[in-house]
Amino acid sequence: MNGNKGLALLLAAALAWPGAARAEEAGRIVSVAGSLTEIVYALGQESRLVGADTTSLYPPSARALPQVGYQRSLSAEGILSLAPDLVLATEAAGPPAVIDQIRAAGVPVRIVTHDLSPDGLGQKVRSVAEALDRAEEGERLANRIRAELDAALLRVGAARRPKVLFFMNAGRGAPLAAGRDTAADAMIRLAGGQNALADFEGYKPLNTEALTAAAPDVLLLPEHALTALGGEAGLARVPGLTLTPAWRQRRIVVMDALLLLGFGPRTGTAVATLARRLNPDLEALELGLDR
Amino acid sequence: MTDNAPDGQVAGWPEPPARRSFPLRWPRALGAVGRGRWVLICLALVLLALAVLALGIGAVAIAPGQTLAILGAQFGVDLPWAFTAQQQAVLLTIRAPRILLGALVGAGLAAAGAALQGLFRNPLADPGLIGVSSGAALAAVAVIVLGLPPLAASGGLGLYALPLAAFGGGMFATLLVGWLAHHHGRAQVATLLLAGIAINALAGAGTGLLTYLADDEQLRTLTFWSLGSLGGATWREVAAIAPPILLALALIARYARTLNALLLGDREAGHLGFAVERAKRVLIMAGALAVGSAVAVAGIIGFVGLVVPHLLRLAQGPDHRFLLPGSALLGAVLLVCADLLARTVVVPTELPIGIVTALLGGPFFFWLLWRQRCQQGGW
Amino acid sequence: MLAAGQVSVRAGGATLLDEVSLAVRPGEILGVVGPNGAGKSTLLKVLCGDVAMAAGEVRMNGRPLHNWSLCERAKVRAVLPQETALGFPLPVFEVALMGRSPHLRGVESERDRAIAREALRLVEAEHLADRDYTSLSGGERQRVQLARVLAQIWEAGDARQPCYLLLDEPTAALDLAHQHAALTIAARFARERRVGVVAILHDLNLAALYADRIAVMKRGRVWIEGPPETALAVEVVEAVFAVRASVVRHPRRPDRLLVVADR
Repeated sequence: MNGNKGLALLLAAALAWPGAARAEEAGRIVSVAGSLTEIVYALGQESRLVGADTTSLYPPSARALPQVGYQRSLSAEGILSLAPDLVLATEAAGPPAVIDQIRAAGVPVRIVTHDLSPDGLGQKVRSVAEALDRAEEGERLANRIRAELDAALLRVGAARRPKVLFFMNAGRGAPLAAGRDTAADAMIRLAGGQNALADFEGYKPLNTEALTAAAPDVLLLPEHALTALGGEAGLARVPGLTLTPAWRQRRIVVMDALLLLGFGPRTGTAVATLARRLNPDLEALELGLDR
Repeated sequence: MTDNAPDGQVAGWPEPPARRSFPLRWPRALGAVGRGRWVLICLALVLLALAVLALGIGAVAIAPGQTLAILGAQFGVDLPWAFTAQQQAVLLTIRAPRILLGALVGAGLAAAGAALQGLFRNPLADPGLIGVSSGAALAAVAVIVLGLPPLAASGGLGLYALPLAAFGGGMFATLLVGWLAHHHGRAQVATLLLAGIAINALAGAGTGLLTYLADDEQLRTLTFWSLGSLGGATWREVAAIAPPILLALALIARYARTLNALLLGDREAGHLGFAVERAKRVLIMAGALAVGSAVAVAGIIGFVGLVVPHLLRLAQGPDHRFLLPGSALLGAVLLVCADLLARTVVVPTELPIGIVTALLGGPFFFWLLWRQRCQQGGW
Repeated sequence: MLAAGQVSVRAGGATLLDEVSLAVRPGEILGVVGPNGAGKSTLLKVLCGDVAMAAGEVRMNGRPLHNWSLCERAKVRAVLPQETALGFPLPVFEVALMGRSPHLRGVESERDRAIAREALRLVEAEHLADRDYTSLSGGERQRVQLARVLAQIWEAGDARQPCYLLLDEPTAALDLAHQHAALTIAARFARERRVGVVAILHDLNLAALYADRIAVMKRGRVWIEGPPETALAVEVVEAVFAVRASVVRHPRRPDRLLVVADR
């Protein structure tokens, strides 16, 4: 009888001690990046999400989450009002003072960094999984994504590598083109193309002369940029674009921004899709995954 | 057709009602000084109450009792309400500096606006008019886009690179305006305004050019900064701008009577014994100090410098001895209010405060113009 | 005495004043007349110390003007501008009260308010005291400004040193009755409080009626200066104003003249 009572007390104490439970697993998570949100869903942990940012658009149910705003201008108190146990973010999250304030209030902020490479992608997935205490599932997911990616890369091989130009709108002013060290550049190379503008880093405004000199074979742009420009008619108005081989042959590839640039779980599919579009003479890939 | 209208007024226009100057009915015996003092006391009380209220309201739920307990704990007073460490952190490191910053920024912008309106004898004068805001913005944009190495490299100072640059830019723009508008030791009002327009145009072009050169990441930072925000306010920022803004307020207040006399005109104020040129220089500098500091920490927040002095003039007349401190108080009240709205209306995100002040100030501005149209007497 | 000695003012290549010497003694009214562009306003600015002189000096009560601080000047010298545009609504009483600024110690005292009220009463504008200045007509505004200016040197009689009143076309917007009223007030101030008055006038007859001495200016120089009999001689009027006129005695005031233009 005393033994039973003792056991019951111990059990009650263990259950009642919030510290113990919390130290194990973060039950309320705010994700501040579309790709991180995708990874959480891919790990099957979406029930733990209590907030997401404006770029968390996939899967569609993520849009129903409480909105914490644009990742570069977060609100400390706003995020804290969701009573999170963990905030997942990339280096893009800011302003830095707000991140500090969230940490000072006792909520850990896990900044997930990664390289723009297949290895880096795996690293990203594993980081998130570890933060969620799902290391095993993370390993499995990372391997699966790597397998998809490798399969896609195999198909590409040493085929003719077309010159691809990626650009997108960033509000007013000229469209920005992607140079080296960008997500777009990495995806282009993974999908069997080469970046038409490889002599600068980052995103820079599109220069008419550089555009003509680059003579890209394919134009790549995200869906929202095409809409913002006003469809194909709008594209024609971009100076210098109509003189490119890509325009003459009407080789314009449009893809969803998060899918293409997110560097998340669907990267394998994205690379496969992009590869198909860049090199149509490649045999159809049987990945069994829908776009 | 000109009938014999009394005292030279042109027939056909409605006769202006021979009424008191101010729509608010004050007891006659109160007089200008009494009225002014009364408004100041009211505003100070409102500000205090609002600050306490704003401290207790926010996205994170903190009950009034808990608020008091947290504050009490700071002073070693033990109160019966329990609170968590997170609530304490939110109250003391997130809300409190933010409210204080809002009050300082609001006070600085409004007082600078009042001083400039008196200086330019133009009710439309606004700190943005003389180029301070755009100069500050240009400097900040330059730091963001060009990433000036010396400032960025200096470790701890790196955080202050942006505010310092904005402040410096604002002062430089103002000095340029002052130099352009100076002639034989005189600064004519019209020339000041035109110089301000020129500087604004130049700074705008510079900012546009830098925006054009900015990459995606920088661009998004720029857009949100240019809409103004008190988010991320810390005690460091409060400590950084409290001295310059308080100094600016003190300088501006010193020239209250000179501003009163300036209502009659530069020369007439000089004939009444006021050192007009020195007053102009000091007031412009003080205005630049206040606005530059405000822009540096909170981005561009419009309408405060325009709307607040006007509201006060409606309530108690243009006597600067009360208008200047009153503007500071009312500006603080307005901004703390606007910030309260900005951070509670779309929780868990927040609105840029410049949008809130524009939504409040824009219609007021239209109302002002409409009212002027209906009355005789112009700008 | 407020005296300008051999003052020359140049601006942008043009000579606005050319070796002008003038003086006004306490208790007398000096009228300054002349055609447009004669330099009357510039002369007034020189006497105020508002404009840089290329040559010459101005002395007030024995000291050079530039030795006086702005505040000291304001206590003994009041200037009525030609027109004042007030951008903001201000009660008329406050405008008049501003005249007391140089004498204030901090806040306005009861005496200052009493002086402002008296000044408004003197110019027959006390019924306007609560009105908004910007709602007044031009003439009413001119009178209120006069009240302000009088309030500034109200204590001239008790002051240790003589005070001066400079009027730039004080009668421009006023109707006939008020024109004479304004100048009568100035004359009384001159006589009773020993104030030296310099008044720029367009109307030769007003000058003839009220001024003790008249300075006639043309193209930056003083053509002639003296009592009305000498200054407003027929030859002078013709030479300076290019108008043929007759100068007659005032029918009811034999000590004063009238200038009547011929067709």
